[in-house]
Amino acid sequence: MAMNPMEQFEVKPLFQHPLLNIAGHDIYFTNQALFMCVVVAAISLFLTLTVSKNRLVPTRGQSMAELSYEFVANMINSTMGEDGLAFFPFIFTLFMFVLFSNLLGLVPWTFTVTSQIAITFALASIVILTMIVTGFMKHGLRFLTLFVPKAPWYLLLLLVPIEVISFLTRPISLSVRLFANMLAGHTLLAVFASFVILLGLAGIVPLLMIVAIFALEMLVAFLQAYVFAILTCIYLNEALHLHDHH
Amino acid sequence: MPPPEPDDLRRLGERIDEAGRRRTQGSKSAPPTSLDIAARFGTELMAAILMGAALGWGIDWAFDHWSHLQTRPWGMVVMFVLGAAAGIRNVMRAAQEINAKMAGKDVEK
Repeated sequence: MAMNPMEQFEVKPLFQHPLLNIAGHDIYFTNQALFMCVVVAAISLFLTLTVSKNRLVPTRGQSMAELSYEFVANMINSTMGEDGLAFFPFIFTLFMFVLFSNLLGLVPWTFTVTSQIAITFALASIVILTMIVTGFMKHGLRFLTLFVPKAPWYLLLLLVPIEVISFLTRPISLSVRLFANMLAGHTLLAVFASFVILLGLAGIVPLLMIVAIFALEMLVAFLQAYVFAILTCIYLNEALHLHDHH
Repeated sequence: MPPPEPDDLRRLGERIDEAGRRRTQGSKSAPPTSLDIAARFGTELMAAILMGAALGWGIDWAFDHWSHLQTRPWGMVVMFVLGAAAGIRNVMRAAQEINAKMAGKDVEK
């Protein structure tokens, strides 16, 4: 009987033969790659099928699609203002990808893409790189004043390195937050599930716990997607409107 | 020319708008739970300290590898302390954001 709660996070190739060979490294098509494709397909199907028959009074599906659109649009409007809407496609894609990965991961026998640090760190890197490119395109070298707080010059010698390190930690804290939440939740579920089998009849107690934790995990799935998207908005806002809060 | 909108349909629209406004206001002022705050502070502090230590280690390695200067272990010592300072800066900034959110204002950043 498989009792290892970490087994669910194992990345394994689905086919014997590697898909590609890049610079001596074999690239396999893994279960992780498969579930990323599933997530993208699910989002595309959800958004195209529900709005294909465009009605004035929306059906349940259509209003779900419209709600997610308006939710992200409102979030961008309230954090970045009107000109932030240029980033709508980017943030909406990120939000839907994280949300659907989290939610599909809750279905039994699936693989949670966002429980892999490689995936969340890649997403966070894309966010920070977008922020840096936007900042330099909009403000040129003046973007570097992001690292210079208002202080006398002798304190700046100390404060600028601190601000630089603080900036460099953003992709880490952004990715670790999402990854740790998903990893912890799914491990907890697996541990309690093994108690159900071990305890026999008394296993009804951990079974009830699983129901409660599962409900909590649904909440966490939404919350983490929201947090990821809103932090992206806040970071991009800093690049767009440099030092506006002064 | 489309037929004029029936009155009850327009009233329904107004009610939906009002309900939507009420809901967005409600969700905006919902304060984060203490677990959220603890997790946020923890990751911010940890990430900065690890980042500082890693940068310091990298600096030492680079000096060792490409020059004859022996900086080890001073790069790591200095950067670790700076990393800890950056972590505290991160936590302070996060606390400011949460305070602003709890006061019902927009996050000023």
